[in-house]
Amino acid sequence: MSTVAGRRVLAQLIRRPLGLLSLGVFAAYALIAVGVWLGWWGSAWFELAGPMWAPPSPEHWLGTNRLGQDILMRAVASTATAFEIAVPVALLSTLIGALAGGAAGYFSHGWLDEFLLWLMGTLDAIPFYLLVVALAFALQGHAWTMHLAMIAVFWTTTARLVRAETQRIRELPYIDAARVSGLAPAQIIGRHILPNTMAILLVQGTLVFIAAIKVEVVLSFLGIGTQDSISWGLMIAEGAQEILIGQYWNFIAASLFLFVLVMAFNLLADQLQDVLDPRSLDARAHRHA
Amino acid sequence: MTRAPDLLVFSLRKLAGAMPLIVGVTLISFLLTVYFGPDPTHALLGKNPTAAEVAQLSAELGRDRSAPAQYLDYLRRLLTLDLGHSMVTGEPVRAMLARTIPVSLLLLLPGFVLGTILALVMAAVAAWYRGGWVDRMISGVSVVGMSLSFVVILIGLQAVFGVWLGWFPVRGWNVTTLPQYLHHVAVPTLAFIVASLGYNTRFFRAVLVAELNSDQVRNARAFGAGPVRLMLVHVIGNSLLPILTRTLFSVPLLVLSGSLLIESHFGIPGVGKITFDAVMSGDQPVLMAVVGLSAVLFVITVTVTDLLCRLVDPRLRQE
Repeated sequence: MSTVAGRRVLAQLIRRPLGLLSLGVFAAYALIAVGVWLGWWGSAWFELAGPMWAPPSPEHWLGTNRLGQDILMRAVASTATAFEIAVPVALLSTLIGALAGGAAGYFSHGWLDEFLLWLMGTLDAIPFYLLVVALAFALQGHAWTMHLAMIAVFWTTTARLVRAETQRIRELPYIDAARVSGLAPAQIIGRHILPNTMAILLVQGTLVFIAAIKVEVVLSFLGIGTQDSISWGLMIAEGAQEILIGQYWNFIAASLFLFVLVMAFNLLADQLQDVLDPRSLDARAHRHA
Repeated sequence: MTRAPDLLVFSLRKLAGAMPLIVGVTLISFLLTVYFGPDPTHALLGKNPTAAEVAQLSAELGRDRSAPAQYLDYLRRLLTLDLGHSMVTGEPVRAMLARTIPVSLLLLLPGFVLGTILALVMAAVAAWYRGGWVDRMISGVSVVGMSLSFVVILIGLQAVFGVWLGWFPVRGWNVTTLPQYLHHVAVPTLAFIVASLGYNTRFFRAVLVAELNSDQVRNARAFGAGPVRLMLVHVIGNSLLPILTRTLFSVPLLVLSGSLLIESHFGIPGVGKITFDAVMSGDQPVLMAVVGLSAVLFVITVTVTDLLCRLVDPRLRQE
């Protein structure tokens, strides 16, 4: 998709109330994350800033946790963690899905296609969390375990959709023209087919972004996700214990930060789908709990 | 009519077609849990083992053989259900599974059945009033449901019903009678329904709306079919294929992914709990069995789904 088309999509999104709202929320979260990376705020999330279990106050808007750390600051710092996981996972699994889907669709029913279909079927056949947990087991302690596990699972849906679309595009006359003019398959796929699957890639990218954030929370909650850092999942895991003794702020803060971002992205995915392809069926016929 | 042998031939052919999938799935579970997994030899031997002891245990565990040989051995053990013993408790893995799988089924089945039915009803109502405020409200509720993390739902419900109201137990699984069972299963069931309702309603609604716009439904309506008959017989009846496929396909995912979270959080001794514990303690035989068997379960589900689809849809029977 050219930048012109990209700008048109953006313009249409902004014209829709829900599109504008979801983009605005996303921009706000992105700003929070960038601010954490640049050290504007949130970098002192581990400091003991006040008394333990302090209620919300002007100094600590959402109170403090059992060590006296500022809960809001931890939730803010966790935003950066969420982006550090979701952005690379969304980009890489979409890229891999596009390349695999493009190759499988272009050479459909060849050996490469058969192999990729087999691989996708195999990966989809193992219950998701079990595969992630097994990967975490195999790659114990590796810093990229979580990213790898998610990418290994998330690329298949994109690849299936791109494969089907590529099979359709491949039969169009302009692809014949490109072939006759002597372009190699890789060039045809990269330059003439994949750009026309951009609608699928954009929507899938947003859906994977959501899934990655939700899965990080689950894995961190289980204790096999984020290590040596702070994340909404870790806060929720702390909160789960604290609720039993009547302390709710950790849980509420992390849940709200998480919910608003995921909700905005769900709405954004819907709006994107409407703008890009009003006829398309619901691509979310999928599984991530 | 030679229906029974016909079905048998069909299912055998389906299973044969699923062979590459079984190979792929077991290969991946072998690679993850045995080949690349942490080597249990030293964990089992304790401190300062001699080289001879290491070599002997390696041979016992089969780790001194080539990867293909180990894989074939793994396959053989899965197929014969010769699953070995837990490295942590020493209990036979088969006994562990026999003990935990019923608990997981009892735990998840009510939520699964009720959640599917509720989603179908909501989807039918939304599809019937498509475009109207009822539809928009249901869609809104679905998006909210899809945006809630399962973990948040679990803890939130636990806080409300277990801690604040004190109606249901906060954790554990102390079940011998029916009232006890209902008492323990309530919060997990509710959590499961809330977590799956949004996704399912949306999917079912899309399917039902497509069917509502079809010629045969318009025809039935013209012949005077009332709303309930129209919805049940003509719309849902004709959408059974996607509904059945999606519902059945979610079974293996549900049994493991769902139970992993619910059971490890509530401390319920189901198959998800022993899987999670096996990951945390590096209990290879348990993990190996669960990953391998769940993959096989998936392949069986795919085959059963195909069979059921053939039964439901006469068109699929004339190949």
